[in-house]
Amino acid sequence: MHTRAKILISVFCILYSVFLLSCRGDEVVYPTIGTHVTDEVREGGLFVLCEGNMGSNKARLDYINLHTGEYYANWYGSQNPRQMKELGDVGNDLQQYGNRLYAVINCSHKVEVMDLQARHIGQVEIPNCRYMAFRGDKMYVSAYVGSVATPELLGSVFEVDTATLEITREVKVGHQPDELCIIDDKLYVANSGGYLTNRYDSTLSVIDLASMTELGKITVGLNPTRVRTDDQKHLWVCCQGNYGAVQPCIVILDPQKEIHRLAIPCANIAMWGSTAYVIDNEQHKLHAVSTIDFEELHQPVDISAYEHPYGLLATNDALYITDAKNYVSSGVLHCYGYDGKEHWSALTGDIPGHLCRVSGVYSLYPDTARKDTAAYSPYISRVYEYKPAVGQFVNVLPKYEEGDDAEAMCRKCEQAIANNAGGMICLGGWGGYVTFGFDHAVQNNDGYDIQILGNAFLMSGNEAYGSSEPGIVLVSRDENNNGKPDDIWYELKGSEYDNPTTQHHITKTYTRQSDTIRNPFHQQPYYPQWIEEESITFTGSLLAPLTENISGQNVQRILDYGYADNKPNADKQGTSFDISWAVDADGNSISLPCVDFIRIYTAVDEHNEITGELSTEITGAIDLHLINN
Amino acid sequence: MAKRLILIVFITLSVCSLCAAAQTGLDSLDFHLDEVEVTARALTKDVIVPQTLKGAELQRMNALSVADALRYFSGVQLKDYGGVGGIKTINVRSMGSQHTAVYYNGVQLGNAQNGQVDLGRFSLDNMEEIQLYNGQKSDIFQSAREFGAAGNVYLATRKPYFREGEKVHVHGQMRFGSFALANPNIGADVRLTDRLSLTMDAEYVYSNGRYPFRYRRVLPSGETAYDTTAVRQNGDINAVRAELGLHHYYRTTGFWRIHAYNYWSNRGIPGAIVNNVWRNGERLQDRNTFVQAQWQDEWFGRWSTRLLAKYANDFTHYWNYDERLLPSNNQYLQQEVYVSLANKVQIFQWWDAALAYDYQYNTLNRLNLLLDDGAESFQRHSHWLSAATAFNIKEYLRLQASVLMTAVDQHTPRVTPGVFFSVRPFAMHHSSLKDLSINAFYKQSYRFPTFNDLYYTDLGNADLRPELARQHSVELDYRIQQSAFSIQASVSYYYNRVTDKIIAYPKGQQFRWTMLNLGEVKINGVDAKADVSLHLPLRFVLRTRLNYTYQTAIDVTNPNDTYYRHQIPYIPRHSGSVVVGLDWQSRRGDHYGLNYSFIYVGERYSQQENTIYNYVQPWYTHDINVYGEWGISTAKQPVWIKANIELNNMLGQDYEVIQNYPMPKQNVRCTLALRY
Repeated sequence: MHTRAKILISVFCILYSVFLLSCRGDEVVYPTIGTHVTDEVREGGLFVLCEGNMGSNKARLDYINLHTGEYYANWYGSQNPRQMKELGDVGNDLQQYGNRLYAVINCSHKVEVMDLQARHIGQVEIPNCRYMAFRGDKMYVSAYVGSVATPELLGSVFEVDTATLEITREVKVGHQPDELCIIDDKLYVANSGGYLTNRYDSTLSVIDLASMTELGKITVGLNPTRVRTDDQKHLWVCCQGNYGAVQPCIVILDPQKEIHRLAIPCANIAMWGSTAYVIDNEQHKLHAVSTIDFEELHQPVDISAYEHPYGLLATNDALYITDAKNYVSSGVLHCYGYDGKEHWSALTGDIPGHLCRVSGVYSLYPDTARKDTAAYSPYISRVYEYKPAVGQFVNVLPKYEEGDDAEAMCRKCEQAIANNAGGMICLGGWGGYVTFGFDHAVQNNDGYDIQILGNAFLMSGNEAYGSSEPGIVLVSRDENNNGKPDDIWYELKGSEYDNPTTQHHITKTYTRQSDTIRNPFHQQPYYPQWIEEESITFTGSLLAPLTENISGQNVQRILDYGYADNKPNADKQGTSFDISWAVDADGNSISLPCVDFIRIYTAVDEHNEITGELSTEITGAIDLHLINN
Repeated sequence: MAKRLILIVFITLSVCSLCAAAQTGLDSLDFHLDEVEVTARALTKDVIVPQTLKGAELQRMNALSVADALRYFSGVQLKDYGGVGGIKTINVRSMGSQHTAVYYNGVQLGNAQNGQVDLGRFSLDNMEEIQLYNGQKSDIFQSAREFGAAGNVYLATRKPYFREGEKVHVHGQMRFGSFALANPNIGADVRLTDRLSLTMDAEYVYSNGRYPFRYRRVLPSGETAYDTTAVRQNGDINAVRAELGLHHYYRTTGFWRIHAYNYWSNRGIPGAIVNNVWRNGERLQDRNTFVQAQWQDEWFGRWSTRLLAKYANDFTHYWNYDERLLPSNNQYLQQEVYVSLANKVQIFQWWDAALAYDYQYNTLNRLNLLLDDGAESFQRHSHWLSAATAFNIKEYLRLQASVLMTAVDQHTPRVTPGVFFSVRPFAMHHSSLKDLSINAFYKQSYRFPTFNDLYYTDLGNADLRPELARQHSVELDYRIQQSAFSIQASVSYYYNRVTDKIIAYPKGQQFRWTMLNLGEVKINGVDAKADVSLHLPLRFVLRTRLNYTYQTAIDVTNPNDTYYRHQIPYIPRHSGSVVVGLDWQSRRGDHYGLNYSFIYVGERYSQQENTIYNYVQPWYTHDINVYGEWGISTAKQPVWIKANIELNNMLGQDYEVIQNYPMPKQNVRCTLALRY
């Protein structure tokens, strides 16, 4: 070829490739980008809602998988790539309630409702919405404007049914209501008046939740923006002052009257245990204040180097604090231990303002997320431990086969009772137990939370008796976030707990050698064959014998409430349990927001010749919150 | 103290010029109507020739407003929020739109409130010439303030031009277009006496602004994630412009003129399209009125004086009754009084010197009608004093140097120099390289904080220092004109540095912003442009205009920032335009033409951090227009009829100049004009 032609062709090719490079392509959805930020292994995850600047449509929901240490920028994007114009404009609040995650998107005028993997379920349209509070099956959302505008520019609180996502009621409050919180039957709303320069509001509206009416207003301090409650049922109100002569402060009230005032400018506040953590964004300090005597504790973390400390979350094992930098570029999320040591930090989106730690077990590994779009399963999905005591159905329900180990037996239990399979497992004699869980943490809401299914039935004609093989129910939170049921167990206190005939802290050991009794129907070994040790020891509470002979039949007295396999499954109430019944080893009531693990063990040590020992049978369990929905 | 000094200078200058006026007789140079070139000496010409669009070329553009036309200049970035009513501002060589001054018939348009001039409001119909000067107009005979800005756009309206025996010119025009655009324009020039003439021009613009736009994104697999087309809401505009000019050229060197301008508009602000928001409720009503007067004369053939005066009264009413937002209702009234006196003396044939003083008084009244807090008012006095000199060595070298002192209220007076030179090594040869020149300049300029920067409740900071821009520029310029073709080509390299950049920065308390002198930006750029005209056989003329700009404008504020050395928002690395026009003239003088233009703006970022989340795709539009102009002879003057059809964004690209502000897809404009 002629040299000049060659040159021409090369020039053309170069120009053409430049042209292609400089062309517009299809606009691809904003990607989710994972970054490894820590080798520390914990369980669960943390959502970070980055506000983004007004008009930029850059509200972003990030997620850090605390198990893998992977930080996912724009996690919402990968879960919901088809959402038109992404998450929206200006994120303003983020909370988990039950099995859902709720995000207030202020300038998109909506509350985004997601499952715990941030998959879109629905949205609630609320104009200029600001913050949320929850109770029962209702969500309460503050908004700068009501459904009908008032000349005084009053805001509103909307009540939303979390099942239908419909607005049910509305109440007018003060000017530009921001945070809100609930104590007993009342809702307290901070009326900031933040848009009315020189005439800020200074009140909390008190709303009666039953009637959804404003009972009155409590004057707190100028420009109140945040209101939180602590473990002592105090209200902590952060008043921002007027950015001039009136200094910001925190006003602490019991719901009737002011009891203390702290001269701390409060940009953000978080409660954990009996401590309130407060970001002072003037001096760039993190204060720790006792909720009991309001004395300032040591400052747990040094944040003096922050540009603009902003978001804050206190959890059982870590403090999460964000630095919003200059508000128009990436912020930073820092994780600290309570010893003040920084564990890791991660780059976030613009204005990381709202943090939400989600507990629960493997549901929170989004990597192994189920592909269907349904919310969480109401049925148990996993059996962690199966350790029956010696019994006639042991090695049969489920069937032991040569070579099975404990893990294999758990899988067999899962096949029998998980995911509403309808099979049955047997726990053997006193003390034998099974530990299972759901694909999420069960929330401790009002009323019953979990139903446990067995094979109990009532005697016809005398319903005080029947076939009851009661099991005691224990619950546990994955406090150490390792996904394993190795945390503190709390007993759900049943009707016999305080019965003097009930013995607590009993220990019993079964040995392979003592496994000699066989009844005619069950000739297999009764000692769990997959257990290599020669003996197994159980501890727990032991109920007095229940068997009586009524009309010639050996039947058991049906217990009042609080035991598995005690009442027939059709008796929903009789087979249901409230996490609020939880007590610690000393019998003190314990308040658990949710539980990750459930254990059931046979509560009686009774044996009769024909039917063999009494052993609790389990056929499944249900998260009542999800069934009701 | 500074003020008193300046006052003394002003008085001295005035007295000098009056004395000079009393002593001179008539001069007899050519009768020039041009405001700039009153005398035709080489020295008064620009050292560095500006980018210019004028006359017929301007009318051929696919452009409705001045902003649209400025897209064809190199080194210019236009911010366009879309639609006829959307705000359009320009940014020259990445220094920020507040560093760009816009002059209307020689007097700067002001906006003391936010420092920005919406160029979308200035219609092209009454425009004769648009010029863009980098640095400054390098003619030393100018008002002091003109030495102040980093980039200058000069808008010159149509000047009356009468042939022997002509008394009246009338023109009328009707334009229709997509989105219910209706844009009638009428005007007349009247020759009152031999040397006194009157121009009138009035225009009405309406558009409902309801243009379709589309958002589409795909999954990485290529499958559509979402694809939504909607119609822009609340983008309507109603605007009326009326202008009146009185020109008196009482002498070959002396003239005065008065120009009155009134613009009234009522428009919706369509706002950002974000998730779940398809309509915004902000409205804006404004009225801009100004009267400006200019007097200029020359004595002894060496002393020139120019006096400018202006009064402007701008009223803005902004309200928002979107039921989803807190309502707002604000009124602003800005007033400006401006006087300028400039003197130039020719010391020798090759050496000029000039001295100018300007004074400006601005007020801003703000009223919040909802809160009834009472009006807030701000005011400001500004003084400019400039001294400039220019000399040349034959045709080889031209050199200008100027120094400007700016004193604005409580701010420490600032002194800024500017040096411009142009070398034409082959000037005296009658070769084709005669018009090859090497131009360069160095200039400093300050942008003083606006009222918004200083006093806004949530924004202001009274302690701001002015922002400083330093420009260095070198240019190679080549022109040649032959009977068959003409070429103008230039390439320039520039290095600018903006320090003490005023940026909004969050204060200690939440949601509170303040303005701080924090930013620092380094700009490196290359502008290349070429205008080529070819005279083809059969009376065809082919005109092409090419522009290309490469710019890096990086933030060098703080190495610890995540955006350190990142390209600043909305500055593309590559941008450019191509205009190709084919003209044909019939034997009897009718014109037909076809014009194609292509504008390209490369990828850029919507925020300081150059991350994928802030990435904005390149955009480019293809526009085309066809026109014809026919003359009909009558007894006295010919009547010209012109028809023009424009098709813009021919391929219907869905693009955004500013993120979340979608631009119109294909749209059409048809114009029918009559000129007598």
